[in-house]
Amino acid sequence: MQQNSKPVMARIWADRWIYVFLLPTLTLVGAFTIYPVVASIWFSFLDWNGFERAGSFIGLANYNELLADPLFWNAFKNTVVFLVLAVPLRVGLALLLAIILNAHFPLVRVFRTAIFLPVVTTAAIVGVVMRYVLDPTGGPLNIALLNSHILGQPLNFLGSAALALYSAVGIWVWKWLGITLIYWLAALQTIPRDLYEAAELDGAGPWRQFRCITLPLLTPFTLIITLITVIDATNVFDLMLTLTGGGPFYATEVIDIYVYRQAFTSNVPRLGYASAAAIFFGIMFIAVAAVQIIALRRVRSGRHDQ
Amino acid sequence: MTISRDGAAPSAGLSRRTLLQGMAMLGAAGLLPGRAFAQDTATIKWWDIFQPLIPLHEKVWTDFAAANPAKVEYTPGNPADMMQSLQLAFRSNQLPDVFSVPNGNAATINSLQAAGWFQPLADSFVFDKPFQKEALAEGFTNFDGKPYSFPIFAIRQTSTSLWFFKDDLAAAGMDAETGPESWDDARKAALGATKDGKYGLILPLQFGDRMKAHLIDLAQAAGAAGEVDWKTGDYAHASQPFLDALEFLMSFQKDGSLHPASSSVDARQGRSRWVAGEAAMFFDGPWNSGVLNGSFKEQIDLISVTGQVPYPKDKASAFNYRAPSTGTFYMSAQSQHPDLVTQVLQMLTTDEYYVALAERMDQPPLDPTAVERANVHPAYKKVVTGYQEYVRIAPDPLVRNTAVGQVYAEMRDVTPGLGEILQGAFSGAFSDPKPILQQYADQMNRERDRAIEAAKGKGAEVSRDDWVFEAWQPGEDFTADKY
Repeated sequence: MQQNSKPVMARIWADRWIYVFLLPTLTLVGAFTIYPVVASIWFSFLDWNGFERAGSFIGLANYNELLADPLFWNAFKNTVVFLVLAVPLRVGLALLLAIILNAHFPLVRVFRTAIFLPVVTTAAIVGVVMRYVLDPTGGPLNIALLNSHILGQPLNFLGSAALALYSAVGIWVWKWLGITLIYWLAALQTIPRDLYEAAELDGAGPWRQFRCITLPLLTPFTLIITLITVIDATNVFDLMLTLTGGGPFYATEVIDIYVYRQAFTSNVPRLGYASAAAIFFGIMFIAVAAVQIIALRRVRSGRHDQ
Repeated sequence: MTISRDGAAPSAGLSRRTLLQGMAMLGAAGLLPGRAFAQDTATIKWWDIFQPLIPLHEKVWTDFAAANPAKVEYTPGNPADMMQSLQLAFRSNQLPDVFSVPNGNAATINSLQAAGWFQPLADSFVFDKPFQKEALAEGFTNFDGKPYSFPIFAIRQTSTSLWFFKDDLAAAGMDAETGPESWDDARKAALGATKDGKYGLILPLQFGDRMKAHLIDLAQAAGAAGEVDWKTGDYAHASQPFLDALEFLMSFQKDGSLHPASSSVDARQGRSRWVAGEAAMFFDGPWNSGVLNGSFKEQIDLISVTGQVPYPKDKASAFNYRAPSTGTFYMSAQSQHPDLVTQVLQMLTTDEYYVALAERMDQPPLDPTAVERANVHPAYKKVVTGYQEYVRIAPDPLVRNTAVGQVYAEMRDVTPGLGEILQGAFSGAFSDPKPILQQYADQMNRERDRAIEAAKGKGAEVSRDDWVFEAWQPGEDFTADKY
């Protein structure tokens, strides 16, 4: 209290070492996080081909054009479809595996490691390797499906517009399943064993235990894990670029690839327009995340009320 | 770091002043030779994307360094990200003295010139042989009457000769020397060669720009003037020749003779799989000889090529058209050594260079007769000499009116482009390509109209009529007197 009554400058001077030690972090965060975000917002109001030193200010024209661009909405749709399919699949499948692998049986560590291994593989390499794995001629997956008579004709997993996005979802879920599995395993460790023992004494079977103990106690983790997975699912640039490059015919063009195409791979790049797309999508995404955080708070306060 | 490792750390009795003095001396010692070197020898920084030409250019640079107080520092670039590197370099004042522009079409070059990227070659530059003079054009290589760049490659070339394994064609009952020159023969050959896990044809569908080039070449062989119908000045992507060419390409998929992996390969991967024997035929430009010679030497004699872009019916009326081309290398506006750069670029205009360039078997040299004097593979000679027979010079609005350059500088990419539309047709994204091609042509027309208005607003005198060339006749060169 006594300190608070001092003038601001005197207080800063008194704590000068704190500020000195904060300076490197502040500088780095400012240069590599805050500046790029602010710069992208500014770029989104410019008509700039990147060849010139600076663009010309055009107000909201980029945003207007964006809203009328069917390929932007196609990318938006692909991102949403990707999220809607991949997030529940990854979260749900990982939970199922976590419950199985949380039990003690032989080779459980080997299984955990096998599922975690793709996580530490570079996404770009996974993209390249998967093109060979899913190759319609000579790819091991197609050979296996043909030899086991599940398919009569090879499937063009990445070359068919109708299949490519779903193939990408499958690969992405497989690649990142291990990390979600670790989250779930950690969450399962927090549930006291005696609850299950008590339930067992009361005659509750495994399904009842899962429904009445595991699921309710995992709810707050579910929200956090889902949030993390949703954020992950909007950063699929490296995988998608090496896997399909956004093709065929924009079938797998998610927002990241759309922004990249506008900013870098067009004959005449459009940095302002690309920034507008990134910012617009960012705002939409923050809105979704905000809804999730509000839901999380509600759940928490509900638990406290009990 | 070095001091403490040597055991002479400050704590070992070294005073702070001695240490600082020592560091200053070390710094000076490190700087001085560099400074002296910089005064004596200029460094010309050179970035380009022509990896097959490196050995040839290294010899040029060595000769240049021997005769001048300068050396060339070369950085090879990847076509896919070269433009990003150049943009960053320009904005940070670090453009190399000499660079190539990937996809350096007239639109991009005019945008870059408008943004102040280039400077003209020095007055000492000489480029006066007839085929050289023909290659310089305002808006392409010259701006405000001054030469800024020049092409090292011939104008007359295409990207769509049909390369094939002779044995596969013979086994399919086709003439293995001439190759399948007509569309029907190509289809028959592909069908005949599709057996035992091998396919007739592989297409680099993932490489949109290459597929676009193939489609335009084939449409021209079917009677199109090019992307623009010179009689009306409109974009003609939905005209019959384009539809026929697309149907021809799609027919391989329909027949089951198209390698299914086509959808996920680019030109390099497609070529590798073709050479590995997975397919009998592959569309490619003359540089295919150079690549085969460099990386697949055992196969080069098993392969031959058609002497022409495959045509639908009548060989006599099948032509391809090429507009004057932009330059190959540009001198940066940020270069401090315009005289030296001009001298080293001048070394790329000699007869000796053209012959050596032909021997790399990449794109044909600007002097087409150099191929006759060069030691090249017969397939390369067949492709390149063929160009003289059937590739004609197309008109270009930019030659007629240099203000068209400002329109190109204003024009933005229209998507989906031709390459993507082809990808879409093959991947089953739509069943009828005609409305999509029509939509593309309409969008291109609208985008050009918008760019014309924008250029007019900045004072350019230009109109849609600049794209109309009444005097254009199929099968004829559009020479300077016809403008």
